[in-house]
Amino acid sequence: MSWLLSPYVEQRTYRVLMYLLLGLPLGILDFTIVVTGLSLGLGLIITLIGIPVLIATILVARSLATFERELALSLLDAPMPRRMPARDRDGGSLWARLRGLVFGRRTWAEVGFLLLRLPLGILDFTVTVTIVALALSGLAVPIVVAAGVQTSLGSWKIDTLIESLVYLPVGVVFLLFGPRLMLAWSALSRRLATSLLGYMEPYESKLAVIDVLARVGEADGFRILDELELRLGRGPFLTPTHLEATLLALESSGYVVSRREGARNVYALAQGSR
Amino acid sequence: MDEFGELSLREREARRIARRQWFWLHLAVYGMIQAFLFVIWLLGSASYPWFIFPLFGWGVVVAAHAVYAFVVRDPEEIMIERAARQAGK
Repeated sequence: MSWLLSPYVEQRTYRVLMYLLLGLPLGILDFTIVVTGLSLGLGLIITLIGIPVLIATILVARSLATFERELALSLLDAPMPRRMPARDRDGGSLWARLRGLVFGRRTWAEVGFLLLRLPLGILDFTVTVTIVALALSGLAVPIVVAAGVQTSLGSWKIDTLIESLVYLPVGVVFLLFGPRLMLAWSALSRRLATSLLGYMEPYESKLAVIDVLARVGEADGFRILDELELRLGRGPFLTPTHLEATLLALESSGYVVSRREGARNVYALAQGSR
Repeated sequence: MDEFGELSLREREARRIARRQWFWLHLAVYGMIQAFLFVIWLLGSASYPWFIFPLFGWGVVVAAHAVYAFVVRDPEEIMIERAARQAGK
């Protein structure tokens, strides 16, 4: 029983409730801005005015995605990688940064999230409002009928207290299981937010690994993973497979050497490669 | 293969198993709902076969899920396996 009632005293339940209810207005806002900007930009591209419109849309979308990331992090506790300071990240010329912005996979993952936010937001809102409405109406109908107000279930008019009790079990069930159902439902939004907004570009992973190796010297995969978790946080964006693939990519580009003779688990910076 | 490589391999296997389990669950839900819709059609007028629309519409999604669960592989997975093959040569 305490398992069923504990969500009522947990702050997280109310944060999740707020996130799910915000899904509809924010979904409309995100979808409208992104679709309007992209259609306008693509439509005007032949006149060249479309190019700045597209870039502006992408910049706005990135800002919206940053807001959504913070929202998912604070309300849903969605795991997100901690970003490196901008000075380490945004190196290169204006052209290189612009190219990274337009062709970066993260940009399009974020745009994808903003587009999916509307259908998912509608579902989030509908599920939440339905759960709350069923729980409250089940309890309210007997009171309302006792006060002399007639109500109905389809074509069946409920005008006696005994008849109104038919709602009560539904209300009790949703009152007991509703918060748990809502928390379970929010896992979908949480997962989507982590996979699309918590996306790490390969160069970010490589920079993070090189940074760890530069600080700790030679280390095995477990040590590097621990250090990365301390820096970036724990989540599906940082897995042994992801780290192994990053190390392989760094190895092939000559930044690290691994599995050296006599020290098979050690990954080290190649001499003079930085 | 070192210990970290083994951990990484186990993680990929777990992910693969989870993907397949989700597919079987999806297929079971699909099968039950389609059977339910077919029974409704049969008990009803049984004239216009409207049940084929969800059967094929959702069927396409189930087929795409099957491809994702059994055929599609992570680029990282491909990269690691290719490197392991090269190291084995």
